[in-house]
Formats: sequence, C-alpha cells, structure tokens
Amino acid sequence: MTSSVHERPNVATRIALTWRTTKSRRRRSRSWLMVLNTTGAWIVGAIFALPLIWTFFTALKPANEVFERNITFIGSQVLWSNFVDAWNEINFGRLLVNSLAIASISTFFTIVVCTLTAFAFSRLRFRGRDTVFILFVLTLTLPSEIAIIPLFLGFDTLQLTDTWVALILPGLFGAFGTFLLRQFMLQVPVELEEAARIDGASTLRILWSVVIPLVRPAISVLAIFAFLGSWNAFLWPLIILSTQSKWTIPLGLAGFSSMTGTQWQLLMAGCILTIIPTIIVVSLSQRQLVAAIGAGAFGGR
Amino acid sequence: MAVSSSPLTAGSTRGPRKAGRRRTIGTGSWQGWLFVAPGLLGLILFVIAPLIGSLVLGFFNYSLIGGGTFTGFHNFVALVHDPLFLNSLVVTTIFVAVYTPLNILLSLSMALWLRTRLAGKAGLRVLFLIPALSPMVANAAVFRLILQQNGALNDALRMIGIGPIPWLSSGSWALTAIILVSLWQSFGYNMIVLSAGLDSISPDVIEAAKLDGAGSFRRLFSVTLPLLSPSVFFATVLTVIGSWQVFVQAYIITGGGPGQSTTTIVMYLYETAFSYDQLGYASAIAAALFVIIALTTLVQVWGQKKWVHYD
Repeated sequence: MTSSVHERPNVATRIALTWRTTKSRRRRSRSWLMVLNTTGAWIVGAIFALPLIWTFFTALKPANEVFERNITFIGSQVLWSNFVDAWNEINFGRLLVNSLAIASISTFFTIVVCTLTAFAFSRLRFRGRDTVFILFVLTLTLPSEIAIIPLFLGFDTLQLTDTWVALILPGLFGAFGTFLLRQFMLQVPVELEEAARIDGASTLRILWSVVIPLVRPAISVLAIFAFLGSWNAFLWPLIILSTQSKWTIPLGLAGFSSMTGTQWQLLMAGCILTIIPTIIVVSLSQRQLVAAIGAGAFGGR
Repeated sequence: MAVSSSPLTAGSTRGPRKAGRRRTIGTGSWQGWLFVAPGLLGLILFVIAPLIGSLVLGFFNYSLIGGGTFTGFHNFVALVHDPLFLNSLVVTTIFVAVYTPLNILLSLSMALWLRTRLAGKAGLRVLFLIPALSPMVANAAVFRLILQQNGALNDALRMIGIGPIPWLSSGSWALTAIILVSLWQSFGYNMIVLSAGLDSISPDVIEAAKLDGAGSFRRLFSVTLPLLSPSVFFATVLTVIGSWQVFVQAYIITGGGPGQSTTTIVMYLYETAFSYDQLGYASAIAAALFVIIALTTLVQVWGQKKWVHYD
C-alpha cells in the first residue's frame, strides 16, 4: 500500500493493521501527573464496575441478607453453593447448551451466506449487481422490530413457531456482515485471482483457496459479532419460543427474574454466569473488537 | 428477477468508468447470481417481505384466532387517538431526546480522557465495553436489584444524606433510571467509535495549531472536535435509531410501569401483538415506528451540513 501515514485508512486496512500489530509501544513516563490521571481514570472504572462487583458479592450471600440496611459486600456466610443452586434452579445447563448450539449454528450460516454474497459483490461481475447491492444498502438501518409480526405469522402458517428453525433463520441475513467482508475482499489484489484462474481454478476454488485465507481476520470479527448477536438476542426468542426446554439464556434469566418471590441471590448468580462468557470473549478478542467497532462495521448501540 | 443465462453478456453491461475502478474477475453472469442467491433470497424472505407485510397488515383487523378483515385506514386513525400509543410515543421521545446527547457527551469525554497519558488504557476499554456486549437481560436484572427501594443505590445515597429515591415506584424516576441504566450499559460502544475517530485525526494538524499558539481548549473546540464531527454524526445517527427501539431495559426493570410511565413504543407493540392478539393494530404501530425512525434519520442527514465537516 502506498498511502501516506496520516491518510485515514479504510475499514479493512484498519482492522488488518490492528490484527497484525502485536506489540504496542508504550512510553513510560513516571511524572506524578500521569499517576494522578491514571488513578482518576481507574476510580471512574471502579465505580463503573461497581454494579457487577455488587452482583458478584450478592450472589454469594444468604437469601435473608440480600437487603441489608448497610452496604456490606460479604455476608455472614460465603455461599458458593448459590451458584450450584442457581445452575439447577434456572436450569442453566440446558440454557447454556441451547444458547451455545443456537449461537454456533447462527454464526456458521451467517458466515457462509455473508462470504458468498460479499464475494459476488466485490469480485464477480453480473448484470444487476449494483441494483441488488443498493437493495442491501437500503436495509442497513431497518429496525428489526418492524418485521416481527409478519415473520411470526409466516412461521405460524408453516407451523414452525416454537422451533429453532424459526428462531435462527431471520437472523442470518443482516447486511452488516456482507458489508464488512466486501470491504476486505475489495482489497485482495486481482493479480492473485488471475494467476489462480490461469492455473485453471474454478470461481469457488478461488474463493476458498485465495480470497478466504486473505480475509480471515474479517471473518473472525464477523464470527464474534454474529455469535454475540445471537447470544444476547431477546425480543425474537421471547416471541417465537414458548417451550422452556428450548429457551436460551436471556429467556431463562428473564423468566426467573419475573417469578414472584424472586430469589435475588440466585438471580444474581445467574447474571454472573451469563456475563462471564462475554467477559472472556471480549478480553480475548479485544483488539479485533475495538478495531471493528471503531470502524463502524457493526452499527450502533 | 431474470437471470442472464448467456456468459457472453458478462462484463459488457457495466459502464466503462466504473469497470475500471472495481477489479473483478471476468466470469459468467450466472455465477454471480449463484453466489448472491442465498443472501438475496434470505434478505427478500426475512427482511423485505416482512417489512412490506407489516405495512399491509396495518390496514387489516387481524388476530391469530379471528383471522383478518380489511379495515382501510382505521388502525392508523385509531393510533392517533389512542392515549396509550401517544403515551408510549412521549415516553420514547423523552428517552431518545435525553439519552442520546448524554450518551454522546459521556462517550466523547471518556474517549478524550483515554487519549491522555494514563496506564492501562486497554483494560479500561475492555471494562467499559463489557456491558455493551453482554446480554441486556442480565444487565437489567442486575439493576432491578440495585434500584429497589431498599437496594444498594439508595443505601449508598443515604450515606451521603440523599434519598431514599423511589427509583421504581415513581414514574419520572423510573424513566430516569431506565436512561441511567442504558447509559451505563451502552456508552462504551460509542466511546470506541469516537476513539477510533480521534485516532484517525492527523497529529500534524494538532501540532500546527499548537505552533500557531492555540491553547488546549482552543485546539479541542476549533480543531479536534470539527475534525471528529463525521464520527460524532455516525454515532449519533445510529444511537438515535437504536434508542427508538428501547425495550429490554423497561421490560425487565419496570415492566413498563409504574402505570404506563416506562411503556416504550416497542413494548406497547409487543403487548398489543402478543398479549392482546391485535396483530393488525400492532403492525400499524410498527409502521409508525418505521416512519418515525426514517424521518429522524433524514432530518439528521439534512441537518449535518450545518455541523459536520468532511475534509
């Protein structure tokens, strides 16, 4: 690439650069100002984390000490067994397996669909391509709530409500993933493909052996977001799934939360169990996530 | 849609100017359609058709049990006179109008702060991002406990002599609580968006302003912020779109109450459709939401000329 240092890099380059940069440069300055600044920022961070910290300690308390008049983090007993009770009470094992399976299936098919579409938009020529692409662009900012009633009626007609098929299908066709991959694929040098074609490679072969290996960072980012999107989804699962044994974690948690006489310490244990996977994913893939969000690859919150 | 079957036409349909810019492989036209087919079919079936279906259903009195009858504009006329819908419109408008500027202000401040010299920036970034990427239901359940009358927040406030605040039993406090929880949950996302925007500003420009004698305030307001305005615009537009759809926080924390004080548009839509089986009327609500979101987005796109600087 011949771009100058300060030129605003596009989505693909920015994510790729971040992906490859492993060593961050740190200038060590030990001035007291920096110490003060750091302390201040981390105090704000600690206040921000307080609700989660409180949740964790509440999850370890005996039931009758959840609403102590004075703030105490550690109760008269530290009950790690609350996590076991929450696991059994909310049927967390089942929810976890369901959520994992649904999110994995969703992620797999999202990637397949987006890769094929993005490849067609970026590397293949065909009549009507620009029209179809504009169709995709137009759906980018559509709120999904608008589609839920016709979708529900459609699946009801096919007698597919309360199935994972109905849960998963509508989520696979978001245009953001196609966009992200298209941006990356536009960067792949055409010479590589020409060489492969001269060697007699088919289009599918070029996609599989030339293009996909070069855009793997983007596919990983898309995978993380597709997974989290499915993992966190609430409204559509709430509408489409009625049988408890098919529920996902958010549904199970909401169901437990709305039960009368909420056992708060167990609900909080459930929340911690729910948030832990996110903490792991975010910590492990923070570089790619930060780059992808920063590039506006996945819309807003 | 007609699929071109002749490979000979491939490539010849594109204008010469564009063809030079985009590098593509010269292959049969049918192949392109083959690759695009799954995505396009899905988009039509699960995005575009339901959108049109929603607009059409708005003209019907439709229920799962009773089926549908065409009622013309009746649903839309009823909507304008429905105090519950107007209430949800007011509640959601207040949410959007208060939450969006606070979100942008908070994200921008934190993004600027994280650019100053301090240790552990990456750790703070991850910390602020965690609630934005974890299930909203869990976040909301956490705050349902904290915001109870005898919960931890009121305990903490009592220590500094405030309260107790009726977070969940007073209408205006409940809406305030929903806004605060949403801020806590989501600002980290925009903070990352704006941090990336700040990173892409050339240090040379800032340096030049420094040499010209501009103080740090002047540099922030006359150089950095104007250069950041495209990122701020992007974040604002998407945050507004997301805010109109607020649902989970209210559903879990307040259940739309007390009374109807936190019943948002999507919540009213959900109840109308799936608690009261008025699917036609709920589709009219969906159509109204669509129009509201489209209009506010268009207004922002028009208004950007006044404050967004593209170089």
